[in-house]
Amino acid sequence: MRVVIVEDQALLREGIIALLRENGVEVVGQAEDAPGLLRLIAGHKPDLAIVDVRLPPTFTDEGIRAAIEARERHPGLGILILSQYVEPVYTSELLAGGSGGVGYLLKERVADIPAFLDAIGRVSEGGTALDREVVAELVRGRTDDNSLDELTPRESEVLSLMAEGKTNSGIAEALVVTPGAVEKHISNIFSKLDLPTTGADHRRVLAVLRFFQSDS
Amino acid sequence: MLARKHYNPDSVLAAHTAVSAALGFLVTLIWGLTGAGYFWPVWVWFGLAIPLAIDFSWWYSRQFEGRREWLALHMSLTAVASAALIMIWALSGGGAFWPGIPVICLLGLVVCHLFISENWDRLFKSGREKVLTERVDQLTRTRQGTLEAQAAQLRQVERDLHDGAQSRLVALSMQLARAEAKLDDQPEAAKLVRQARAEAGEAIAELRDLARGIAPPVLADRGLAEAARSLGTRNPGGVTIESTLERRPPPIIETGAYFVIAESLTNAAKHAPGVPVTVSLAEGDGQLNIVIKDEGPGGADPKGNGLTGLLHRVEALDGRMGINSPPGEGTVIRVDLPCE
Repeated sequence: MRVVIVEDQALLREGIIALLRENGVEVVGQAEDAPGLLRLIAGHKPDLAIVDVRLPPTFTDEGIRAAIEARERHPGLGILILSQYVEPVYTSELLAGGSGGVGYLLKERVADIPAFLDAIGRVSEGGTALDREVVAELVRGRTDDNSLDELTPRESEVLSLMAEGKTNSGIAEALVVTPGAVEKHISNIFSKLDLPTTGADHRRVLAVLRFFQSDS
Repeated sequence: MLARKHYNPDSVLAAHTAVSAALGFLVTLIWGLTGAGYFWPVWVWFGLAIPLAIDFSWWYSRQFEGRREWLALHMSLTAVASAALIMIWALSGGGAFWPGIPVICLLGLVVCHLFISENWDRLFKSGREKVLTERVDQLTRTRQGTLEAQAAQLRQVERDLHDGAQSRLVALSMQLARAEAKLDDQPEAAKLVRQARAEAGEAIAELRDLARGIAPPVLADRGLAEAARSLGTRNPGGVTIESTLERRPPPIIETGAYFVIAESLTNAAKHAPGVPVTVSLAEGDGQLNIVIKDEGPGGADPKGNGLTGLLHRVEALDGRMGINSPPGEGTVIRVDLPCE
């Protein structure tokens, strides 16, 4: 897996690079600003770009804008946003366009190394990795939907974990239940939410996301 | 001022002019048909012109406000009266110019009025009142300056939290995580490091909430309409944002407006759960107008906690707030904030 990283704060950038290298992830390029992201992608053809939201010169949302542009220009490229805050407007924009894997994590999640590596792996393979705070925001805006009320608390938990991008076995592990029980919950969720069932793991996540986005 | 809006002065004057012109034409026509002797219609014209001139004076003076409105009315009526006197003198065959003295008297009155009007404060306000007026002006100015400086400082604090403490804590917890990974053979040390990492995580979350309470990043990044949209995504009933803002208000007003919208949406979600809300943003006459409208049950209590808190926020910014919430007809909150 080839990764590039765009982060303006040297301390964080070098920390993430060291952490990735220690765990066998190849970091092929780094930059400090948004134009640097597009340059790195063109030059290195990475599988995944890790991007901060606030970048020079204005320190507002140029990271998100550049990531959206990169997603449009390079289909199949995985984009993982690392941010210090969750902003529903930005996550919706990021999820709305482009193909390829996509993720939005709070920066401190990097400190949970196995989960972070798992998220990187999923996004670079075309999957999704959403922070649980992002999922919580998306769900909060949907509580008027009666179909969500029909879910049992356990099913809601499974749905949140699905939206984060976890696989069945990942969910089973997180909830300490058997994979069979997870499958049963998921098929219940699909039927209650009237979602088409499909075999592929990430497609079902995209279906869940579409369901979230349909309102925003 | 409100009572005057029941009819439109422009159309009253236009109608008056049209009727006068028609009557003037009609009598001239009659004069022509009846043999065109002594040109008597000039007196009818004269009779029609005086009320029309008075109407015009009134219309003209309305363009001014306060004492100036009265001064303008006085001046134009004086002009009408002087013109009428001179007309009568001319139509009655001239001779000795008798209107001279009355016209000079009328002009004298206007000059007196002008003098009083322009020196009103000096003539009628006591020294103490003058000092107080100046003081109020000064306080209003300095308060605005203080508020603006405070808003700028708070945004700087938010930026410093993000670039400084928060980033360092993230870097710290990352290093702790790497240390933990290297302590596989020392489970007790690894446990301590894990606890330290958890503490750092709590601190990061607290700092994030703190920064968000000052002003959410989306407000600084993209302005009020997008920030309102972001707030709207949290309201289950759905929120529509209608904005005609063409420029960004000063930071203090922008932040104030953001929290006004945030609190109104919270109130709406609490008292009218699941009901759609519309937020309109516009700028006009040096004011930022915010209207928050829901189709909920109405009957909001203006003395309730939610609305009192909102009012205090608005008053602190020298703004105004109005609530219309008849039972069964939804709630409309209108807030105007000064926005020069």
